[in-house]
Amino acid sequence: MSLPYAYARTEADDTVDVTMTVNGSEVTLSLPARITLSDALRDHLGLTGTHVGCEHGICGMCTILVDGQASRACLLFAVQLEGAEITTVEGLGRQDDLHPLQESFSKHHALQCGFCTPGFLMSSYDLLTHEPDVATEDLPEELSGVLCRCTGYRNIIDAVDEVAHAHRDGLPGPGNCAQRTLVGRTPSGAGPAAAAEVATAAVPGHHPDEIALPTGEPTITVDVTSQLESAPTEVAQVFGDIRLLARCLPGAELTDELGDDWYRGRARIALGPVRLSFDGMAQVLEQRDDRLVLRAQGKDTGGGSAQAEIVMSATPAGTGVSLHAEARVFLTGRVASFGRSLAGDVSRRMFEDFARGMDRAAAGAEPDVGAKPPGAVAILVGALSDRARARLRSLRQRSRDRTTRRDRRRTPSRDER
Amino acid sequence: MNQPWKPAPFAYVRPGTTEDALTELARDGAKVLAGGQSLVPVLAMRLGRPSMLVDINAVPELRQISRSNGHLGVGATVRQRQVQYDDAAAAVPLLRLALPWVGHREIRSRGTVCGSIAHADPSAELPAVASCLDATMVVAGAEGVREIPAAEFFTGAMSTVILPEELLTEVRFPVAEEGDGFGFGEIARRHGDFALAGAAVRVRTTSAGSRARISCFGISDHPVTRDVTEQLRSALDATGTDPDESDLRRALADHADGIADDVVDTGGDAHASAAYRRQLIAGLVSRQVARAYLKSLRPHREGKP
Repeated sequence: MSLPYAYARTEADDTVDVTMTVNGSEVTLSLPARITLSDALRDHLGLTGTHVGCEHGICGMCTILVDGQASRACLLFAVQLEGAEITTVEGLGRQDDLHPLQESFSKHHALQCGFCTPGFLMSSYDLLTHEPDVATEDLPEELSGVLCRCTGYRNIIDAVDEVAHAHRDGLPGPGNCAQRTLVGRTPSGAGPAAAAEVATAAVPGHHPDEIALPTGEPTITVDVTSQLESAPTEVAQVFGDIRLLARCLPGAELTDELGDDWYRGRARIALGPVRLSFDGMAQVLEQRDDRLVLRAQGKDTGGGSAQAEIVMSATPAGTGVSLHAEARVFLTGRVASFGRSLAGDVSRRMFEDFARGMDRAAAGAEPDVGAKPPGAVAILVGALSDRARARLRSLRQRSRDRTTRRDRRRTPSRDER
Repeated sequence: MNQPWKPAPFAYVRPGTTEDALTELARDGAKVLAGGQSLVPVLAMRLGRPSMLVDINAVPELRQISRSNGHLGVGATVRQRQVQYDDAAAAVPLLRLALPWVGHREIRSRGTVCGSIAHADPSAELPAVASCLDATMVVAGAEGVREIPAAEFFTGAMSTVILPEELLTEVRFPVAEEGDGFGFGEIARRHGDFALAGAAVRVRTTSAGSRARISCFGISDHPVTRDVTEQLRSALDATGTDPDESDLRRALADHADGIADDVVDTGGDAHASAAYRRQLIAGLVSRQVARAYLKSLRPHREGKP
């Protein structure tokens, strides 16, 4: 870590700017000096994978990497980390491409209740990176900096040991560190930035110059095609009427037209105990009979944020229309911590509902989806049962594969014995 | 939104030079922040409420490990983990023996050697290492620089001769010489926890004979250093000068109770009674003195404690 040779000073009730790289993305936070790194990661960057236990350096739940070395995030003040490179458990692997350590924890049932897991993953990542030859019998001592409350040590040690043996020549690096936008979950109480944003939102008719999408990989990508019964001309009418279009989307509500193709709106999504309410704006970038491109951004009252670019195109198919929707959705805050694939499933089902709503709207009927807040239970149940079905399919496939392999392995001599 | 403030508010300043750091430390209620691994818990529990933290991590000269005149100089912000693996630091084998016992890897990533010594926790390892080797603490203040030998440095639990407006800029450890052997051991309830009792040992064997020195911790409000040359000599009289390690340990054990009674002056606490600590010290001292003596017989090689 190279700290700048500079006098930096902040008074007790001031905030100070600190710029660091978190999971590959540069972020600048404005914080009071007494905010610990663990709180900054969780509350200001929405990276709630870093758990907080004792908050005085004993339990190791908050272990993260600072410049490649495991450290206690609760024993560091964020302001100390100017220029530092931080890796949290979110940076270690991706939902669809887990780090070998994560795979191994899952395989060995080392996750148990999961509270200590981020700490153990980051601590063992540091251990295996710096001491790839660590002996099995040294693991209990080497991992003693993190406590497991449900005493699952045996499985944790087995999981780490297996990875150690598989990667003596070097552990793969963190697999989810890329340039992407990390937006604060909370604008730190009443920071000046927060106040300004609220003020902007309150001015009627006001909109930003443009909606800038974060760089990097989207949290969710959606690519769905739905078959509509309506004729192309009827669909074109819906494409031409943003108000009607908004009513087709479950939970969405258009509250204001700001002119210049800018709209203000609201979207409510409820998934079990999680209730998200986004207030935001959308800009229509392209509006033709068979193609609609729009960008939207919203902030959740819980501090999460979403930005999306949606491209919809209608192509005639038979007597009806094939409606294709592509979306790149960038999420931060607790909404992002759903898990990518589940969030992806939810958005896909929302698009399917949207397509049905469009079909009804195109036929001249009330879309009938916007009225009730998001049919969320139905969406979630639908999404979950889709996953359950997919899982069942893959399990069946796997068991078929296993049977085949077993049959192939079996040699005549063994059978005779 | 509710903020989870753990520490009380403090002003924060990050000077770039030692002089600027000293200017800041002269202010009322200022406290040095180096690794923070002992300080931040104290702040989190609000046992300490300094009005200002002076973060010395941006001062380049405090980040140095240097070697000169038979000393290894470790700067104020040099991390424990850095010393553990630094080639130059191999010249002080006792540091390498002791550092794996200091907290955990996660703590040593940030914790500093000087910080641990300046914090002077009675059960911490590095103050005992400094005492055993008779290291020199370099303390800077408005009046200039003071060089303080370990014997005069620790005044009690978490207390040293450093004044609030002064800064421990460097600790100078004497490098090992031919004929030096070292031992280090401690007993804690969990590896990485503060020690119930521990001992650092240096034995120097020359043609004139062997000299042994121990520094025990966790058993008093500061590291307790004793010369145990006589006890070692008596044990060697019983075993011969080239003994088996376990024979020497047994011979030393005859003297260990007397040593333990001498050094343990705690009344005991919630973690362990004084009697239990005496037993621990007796065992640790006989084991580590035996180990250090045998090491001192072999030609000294750097990096192989």
